[in-house]
Amino acid sequence: MIGSKISSRYAKALFSLGQDDGHYEEYGQNLNEFVGFCSANSEFIRVVSNQIFPVEDRKKVLEAILEKSPFSDVVKNFLRLLVDKNRIAAIDGITDYYSRLTDEFSNITRADIITAKPLKTKALDNLKRALTGLTSKDVRTDVKQDGTLIGGLIVKIGDLVLDGSVRTQLEGLKESLKRGEYN
Amino acid sequence: MILFSGKKGKVVFIAALTLIGIFILCSLGFASEGGGHGGADGSQRLWDLGARFLNFAILVIILFVVIKKTDVKDFFSGRRAEIGQKFEDLKKERDAAEGRFRKLEDELKAFETKKKEIIQQFEAEGVAEKKKIIAEAEERARQILEQAGLTIQREIQAAKDRLAMEMVEAAAQRAQGIIEKEITDSDQDQLVNEFIERVEKLH
Repeated sequence: MIGSKISSRYAKALFSLGQDDGHYEEYGQNLNEFVGFCSANSEFIRVVSNQIFPVEDRKKVLEAILEKSPFSDVVKNFLRLLVDKNRIAAIDGITDYYSRLTDEFSNITRADIITAKPLKTKALDNLKRALTGLTSKDVRTDVKQDGTLIGGLIVKIGDLVLDGSVRTQLEGLKESLKRGEYN
Repeated sequence: MILFSGKKGKVVFIAALTLIGIFILCSLGFASEGGGHGGADGSQRLWDLGARFLNFAILVIILFVVIKKTDVKDFFSGRRAEIGQKFEDLKKERDAAEGRFRKLEDELKAFETKKKEIIQQFEAEGVAEKKKIIAEAEERARQILEQAGLTIQREIQAAKDRLAMEMVEAAAQRAQGIIEKEITDSDQDQLVNEFIERVEKLH
């Protein structure tokens, strides 16, 4: 909860700067790239976020990376600030929240689609169109496959969950039978 | 004879006669003894007899005087009165004892009556208590039977429910297995299309 609050505060601050200078999308891309780098180099983020090492030493390590990166100066300064304030470990949460702010500002919503079998392109387009009509926002999808659904699919948009899976239908049928609704 | 009139005179007269009688008898005895031995020492013996008689007479006189002085008659009459009084007292005590005996007898009868009443009361209470215990035991037995009946019904219902649940679980598992085996890509496409239609209806 505290981490979430910290992430939202830092993300809002950076997004506010991006809104002012009109580069909020670029900053978002930079953050995503940095998070991707951290994921690929877990040793790096462990060192930079470890408070056993002096801040100056950690900043030197970060600086060595930033010098070779194409990130904007604002993002570089933002990352330096995070190291100074010992909040660099929250970079994942900050980036996620920043993405949500960007999407909201751009009238974009994200839909997590979980399907039992791979979706055909036409079906995915139709689904996107239906979801756009439902949310009145541009929908960006993230499709994952889960065989335990047996058939059908589940769509999650924020707190909204649309469940069309066979597994859930079977569960519903089972619960109905247990309640004796089919006697 | 005038000297010996009255109660006192009679006593003196009897005493004098007694002494004379004794003297005569003693003289006859000595006379017969003296006839056997001759008359040599007869006078000596007579004197001895006279001394003895005198001795005895003095003893009788002393006794008479002593008895007279000590009021034997009063003593015996007092003694008789005392014995009579004692007899009266004992009679009274006997009457009192008899009274106490009768009282105790009455008390004993009352106690026996009371005892019978108490025993009867205890018997009645015992019978009542016995009836109460039996009634309570019967009521308890009825409750236990009723409870057992309810428990059996509950257990039967629980067993039915459990069986139904197991059947449902088994049916669901079976259905899931069949669907997993039988579902095809076209079924998936159909499910996706139906899903999209449902989403479109939500607009």
